[in-house]
Amino acid sequence: MSELHIFKARKIVTMDPEQPEATHVGVRDGLVVAVGSEKDAAGWGTADTNDIFADKIIVPGFVEGHSHMFAGGIWRFVYVGYQDRVDPQGRRWSGVKSIDAVIERMRGEQEGLEEGVPLIAWGFDPIFLPAPRADRHDFDRVSDTRPIAVLHSNFHVMTVNTPALRLAEYTAETNIEGIVMGEDGEPNGELQEMAVMFPVMRRMNIDIRSLSGDGDGIRDFGKVCNAVGVTTATDLVASLEDSNVALLKNVTSEKAFPIRLVSALNGLQQPPDETVTRARELAPQSTDKLRLGSVKIVTDGSIQGFTARLREPGYYNGAANGIWNIAPDQLNILVDALLRNGIHTHIHVNGDEAIQVAIDAVGASIKRQSADDHRTVLQHCQMADREQFEKMRELGLCANLFANHIYYFGDQHKAITLGPERARKMDGCRTALDHGIPLAIHSDAPITPLAPLVTAWAAAQRQTAGGEILGEEERISAYEALHAITLGPAYTLRMEHEIGSIEPGKRADFAILDASPLDVEQDRIRDITVWGTVLGGVVHRA
Amino acid sequence: MKIASSALPVTIISGYLGAGKTTLVNHLLRHADGRKLMVLVNDFGDLAIDADLIQSDDGDIVTLSNGCVCCSLGSDLFEAFLTVLDRTPKPDHLIIEASGIARPQNIANIARAEPDLHLDGIVTLVDAELIEANLANPQIASALMEQISSADMLLINKSDLVTEQRLQALRHILAEICPGTPALGCKHGAAALDAVLGAYSGAKYDIQATDSADHSEHYVRWSCEATGSFDLDKLKKGLAALPPGVLRFKGIIRPGDGGEPVAIHRVGHRVSLDRMYGPAPPVSHMVAIGLEGQMDPAIVEKTVLRAKQ
Repeated sequence: MSELHIFKARKIVTMDPEQPEATHVGVRDGLVVAVGSEKDAAGWGTADTNDIFADKIIVPGFVEGHSHMFAGGIWRFVYVGYQDRVDPQGRRWSGVKSIDAVIERMRGEQEGLEEGVPLIAWGFDPIFLPAPRADRHDFDRVSDTRPIAVLHSNFHVMTVNTPALRLAEYTAETNIEGIVMGEDGEPNGELQEMAVMFPVMRRMNIDIRSLSGDGDGIRDFGKVCNAVGVTTATDLVASLEDSNVALLKNVTSEKAFPIRLVSALNGLQQPPDETVTRARELAPQSTDKLRLGSVKIVTDGSIQGFTARLREPGYYNGAANGIWNIAPDQLNILVDALLRNGIHTHIHVNGDEAIQVAIDAVGASIKRQSADDHRTVLQHCQMADREQFEKMRELGLCANLFANHIYYFGDQHKAITLGPERARKMDGCRTALDHGIPLAIHSDAPITPLAPLVTAWAAAQRQTAGGEILGEEERISAYEALHAITLGPAYTLRMEHEIGSIEPGKRADFAILDASPLDVEQDRIRDITVWGTVLGGVVHRA
Repeated sequence: MKIASSALPVTIISGYLGAGKTTLVNHLLRHADGRKLMVLVNDFGDLAIDADLIQSDDGDIVTLSNGCVCCSLGSDLFEAFLTVLDRTPKPDHLIIEASGIARPQNIANIARAEPDLHLDGIVTLVDAELIEANLANPQIASALMEQISSADMLLINKSDLVTEQRLQALRHILAEICPGTPALGCKHGAAALDAVLGAYSGAKYDIQATDSADHSEHYVRWSCEATGSFDLDKLKKGLAALPPGVLRFKGIIRPGDGGEPVAIHRVGHRVSLDRMYGPAPPVSHMVAIGLEGQMDPAIVEKTVLRAKQ
């Protein structure tokens, strides 16, 4: 008989509607056996009782349904963002609120760095800082000999210093879209989009992909998750070559690795039939802590980057419509191949035109065959309207909405990208739930910080960084928000029978908190402190 | 004799699904004429290289018996560029077969920005039968418009499948989208290598040599070697003013001050100058390719001589 461990807590929030609260949870072989009172748990036989959570709240481990592994490795660079963030070592980095503070932090990080070695920072968000916008001269103040690159929070723009510009041989005569010129007619150091960032990154050895390609990058991602109470997280999109899979298996199987990792294959890196074959090869290689076999397809771009595909009336500021990463005709073929072969599919769609094209692709495929419980997930799905949610329910689609956008980009969406009407409706969690859509909410980390309690808060409060309540009608309750970071995403990952709630037979995956999200004032949910997690009964202190 | 080295030329082949990009790529590979071409095929497409050309295929990289190489772009365009730039021996020319919905400017900007690359040009294929219908589809129209408007050269593929009247109407539509850009008819992607990719450095032609071998168009070619030095600005302006029938001009020019040589290109109606590395050649060397009846070699030669210092 295996050992039975009982965790005693101030309160256990189970997300099981038939027994919403408990004080004791019994765990055997990594699974929950008992949930209830001390007496309920005692009935399961001899057990050792663990009191370390006696003054804590236990909730189901959070499930991050849309993140990226490089959210771990990116911490090799210096964080200079506006918001507070927690690094893999559990250190809280306060947000920097002025360009002087950015420079001061980078100077500090430069100490001990050898002469000439590049210095790289990330998370920079000039729109939140007082004008004027930073340029190369600001970063020349950190060093005018060492190449310096500062990646913006969206990873589509960077600002570099003069030595870095010289590496790419950019001069006043260089006339290429994306190389921003200063008043003096010289490049001012701001480089927009990868095409013009590439020559600098190549010469400074900045390789974003490698950040998730080695063991430490994977471990760091686990630590970042652990610090915010996440026990299951996604790497939504991975190339998953054999060597890569072998490494993932090794690292995730380490006892200290604190999460279950769901890694989705990039559906655009090979023709549809090869995608199907590869997904089928990957699925049986899944383990307790590594889940393979699903596929992700990226259709359009991002709304804040004006690359999302919008229907009329288009962008508020008149920007041209966005881009496709896959032609709608090809999407139809790919989605049909995946659904026909029972492969779980995640489709990145931001704009409402992209959402419609994805709905139509799924609808056409389902018409051709029975695809019961295919549970295709529209990822981001930020501009879905009532009709689209209605159709999604009819077709059995799930929504993973980008609730963090309301806080991080809501003000920009209202003023620049979409205008007030559509900004108030975007990431409409209320409408999705009212239409019976299985709902998850996410961070897309590291695009916005991984922190499900902040994501839940954003969906419940809909407060922007500027302090405005954007679309009060789309608010959801604290309980619904907690559901959307636990059972909701578990369902979108086809794991709801294993994780997402604390019930007998499910995996003993918990987040350990100082307060219950259901008991604090709704606008305080994001302030709750995370102690750490339990994964399959193993305690992981953050 | 290799007299000077320069950045790796990049030609982007764009066009919507079914326009014939892969067919064109196969045609270029088959007629590579000693050039070591490297082809990156878009991530979503099959690496559909004609079987009889293949020497070895390890899944990711296909090596051809004539020394050309093809590989899939994989999941990341930039990673593919890193691989290409680190590759030895360096290929003579990089061809990128863009995906059907790709905006070629985005890829072209990499070649413009990266000092070790040189944007040779964007060649866009349009499907003579389907292009009008595709341009009427609002979901894809803007991407196709950009493919056409950013092209340095257009290839109207399957031109043999439509009536002469429709072909003329199509030429008219294309000319409105991008005035001055040469539009060549072709069938089965069969277009002359040196029209699509430019002449090989050092190519020599007898004046007025024409050919029509399996091409829908008749080409005329011109080359010359010239001593002395050139006024680059004057040459650039002169080349820009040549008629659209001059598809390509390439010159390795000995500068007046005896410094490093300069490459001057005309692709379509776009003229660009590129710095080269290494010793200047003893003489300047120039090549032009155009459409018969639309390029007069004598006028090309006159333009060049006028720029002599």
